[in-house]
Amino acid sequence: MINQIILKSVYGLLLCLVVVLSGCGDVDTELKTPEYNTGLPADHLGNLAFKKIFPLHYASYELNNESSIMTVYKGSVPYMKNDNKDPLPEGYKYAQPYLKNLWLGYPFMYDYRESRGHTHAIGDVLDSDRPNRYAFKSGLPATCWNCKTPQMLKWTKDDGNAFWSKDMNEFRERLHPEDDTVGCVNCHNPQTMELQLYSEPLKDYLVSVGKDPDKLSRQEMRSLVCAQCHVEYYFEKTGVPAKPVFPWAKGFNPEDMYQYYKEHGDSTIPGFEGQFYDWIHPVSKTPMIKIQHPEYETWIDGPHGSAGVTCADCHMPYIRGENGQKMSSHYWTSPLKDPEMRACRQCHADKSPEFLKESVVSVQKATFDQLLIAQELSVKAHEAVRLADEYTGPRANNYDQLMIQARDMIRKGQLFWDYVSAENGVGFHNPVKALNTLASSIQYSQEAINLAMEATKYAIGPNLQGDIKEIVPPILVMSRKLQQDPEYLKTNPWFKYLKVLPKAEIEWDGTKYLGDK
Amino acid sequence: MSKESLWKSPWFKYLLGGFILGIIVIVGINWGMKVTDSRPFCASCHIMEQAAVTNKLSIHANLSCNDCHAPHELWRKIPFKAKEGIRDFYMNTIGNAQLPIIPGTETKEVVNENCKACHAISNMTVSSTEAKPYCVDCHRDMKHMHMQPISKRIVADD
Repeated sequence: MINQIILKSVYGLLLCLVVVLSGCGDVDTELKTPEYNTGLPADHLGNLAFKKIFPLHYASYELNNESSIMTVYKGSVPYMKNDNKDPLPEGYKYAQPYLKNLWLGYPFMYDYRESRGHTHAIGDVLDSDRPNRYAFKSGLPATCWNCKTPQMLKWTKDDGNAFWSKDMNEFRERLHPEDDTVGCVNCHNPQTMELQLYSEPLKDYLVSVGKDPDKLSRQEMRSLVCAQCHVEYYFEKTGVPAKPVFPWAKGFNPEDMYQYYKEHGDSTIPGFEGQFYDWIHPVSKTPMIKIQHPEYETWIDGPHGSAGVTCADCHMPYIRGENGQKMSSHYWTSPLKDPEMRACRQCHADKSPEFLKESVVSVQKATFDQLLIAQELSVKAHEAVRLADEYTGPRANNYDQLMIQARDMIRKGQLFWDYVSAENGVGFHNPVKALNTLASSIQYSQEAINLAMEATKYAIGPNLQGDIKEIVPPILVMSRKLQQDPEYLKTNPWFKYLKVLPKAEIEWDGTKYLGDK
Repeated sequence: MSKESLWKSPWFKYLLGGFILGIIVIVGINWGMKVTDSRPFCASCHIMEQAAVTNKLSIHANLSCNDCHAPHELWRKIPFKAKEGIRDFYMNTIGNAQLPIIPGTETKEVVNENCKACHAISNMTVSSTEAKPYCVDCHRDMKHMHMQPISKRIVADD
């Protein structure tokens, strides 16, 4: 320690002398980024090789292993996002109790947890109950690896467009959870460490709007590297099977996506011909859209995004490494974890950390409160259409047409709340859009209820009276294993719309296959 | 005493020598003060790069750093510079300065005084110092373009 102090002092004094003697050159306003030559081959993918070359950056990256700190609405404990009954790490007070009901019949009803550090990306997918582990095949396409590993560069090169529709479980055994998880090569050229895009769907989008993915400014890249994954996407049904696409051709907002999905599917359902759907909700028989983490689309026209403040500005603030070197933090997490709110105070230096934190949390509280209301009304809309669907009394003359409209409003109402629910800023990335989207969602779900009432000449009215939580109880627990148990499926009125799965034992343990191929 | 003896008096030689030395010292100090007020000197520590770049891009580019960041009166400026310099040297070497660097109250007061020193006339007929404690509470971009995206202000060290 003492040696280090003496060394640093001598070094500092010498530096001062050199500076004074050299006549002191002025700064360069070009802000040239440092240049590197790693000596790695151009097609290098794994993370561990970078540990020796960039020890400080790697140490910062390894901080993503932390999975115990919670903020008010977010954090890194991977609790079940529907569970507001159990304590951490299973549940949390600010959970969304109706998620399993609203995603009934879709893999998200089995498992949907709070997100955490990139270093867990592979491990958490391997352990997820969304892909089927009770058979060799997962039932999900290999596209599910698209945002989890730099190996994508090799796999899509080897298999071309045939890659996407292979079964995702076929690739489990090839993965090393630490070396292959979201890491260096997802954003960096392995030789020069320049920012680069690996993502096929993002490059497709950029080309579609006339941009060259290899010639983007540093300012653009500081968000686009995140937009490779933190976006809404879907798997193509009409073109290359299961290829990932970002539904951005009409714009980034929920209404734009709703319109986009009207034109990009293969549905033959009456009233929904040619539309895209992710699954049919078994209770209301509605062709549904699932929205996934639209951080980029939400941020882009929010107060920070429209001012050009990038993802990296807040999530990768410049810090000083152990040797005093100025470097980007590679600990991607909630900026609210820092008691000093340093990332914010790069700009908001005149505000106290407490003030900044309160500003964020107040937006999040408003958003979260309205989100739960929108979800309750969405459940009520599914229930109303279910009742109308099963109603045997005298129906309105235009019953069929009204039911198509009601289902369309369920679909739209749910797309809207999911756009906010799936987004990880809890409103903060774009407060006005979040609250406006939730207000619209409430309006569409109510419209679905009105139409279902009208279709039955208001006969279903009494069945919808009272607290929705008593009419349709929230489903707290559901898994692929529990769906094999006919007794368990008697515990919630909505379960009767699910098939009992055949009895089976688990065949995958992480990357290891336990069954007979 | 004769005229000649005055010129040859040792006292006169000492006086003259002292006078010349004094001029050299004053010119030297003056030069040193100027150099150490200036952006190239301040930016010679990498941690000051962000402040220097944003200054060079700003409307105040042709002023020195200490036209804002140190008192103008010499009797206050010299001890202020010495104290700030020693602290900055310590934090850059033995100390552990963290980013972002946020000015303390003393610096904020000094900078604000210097706003008023140059811009007094523009504010003569208005009570512009009453509602907000600092001029830069409204003229926010003067705080080194602090509301601009990070990529316009800073890069990583080599």
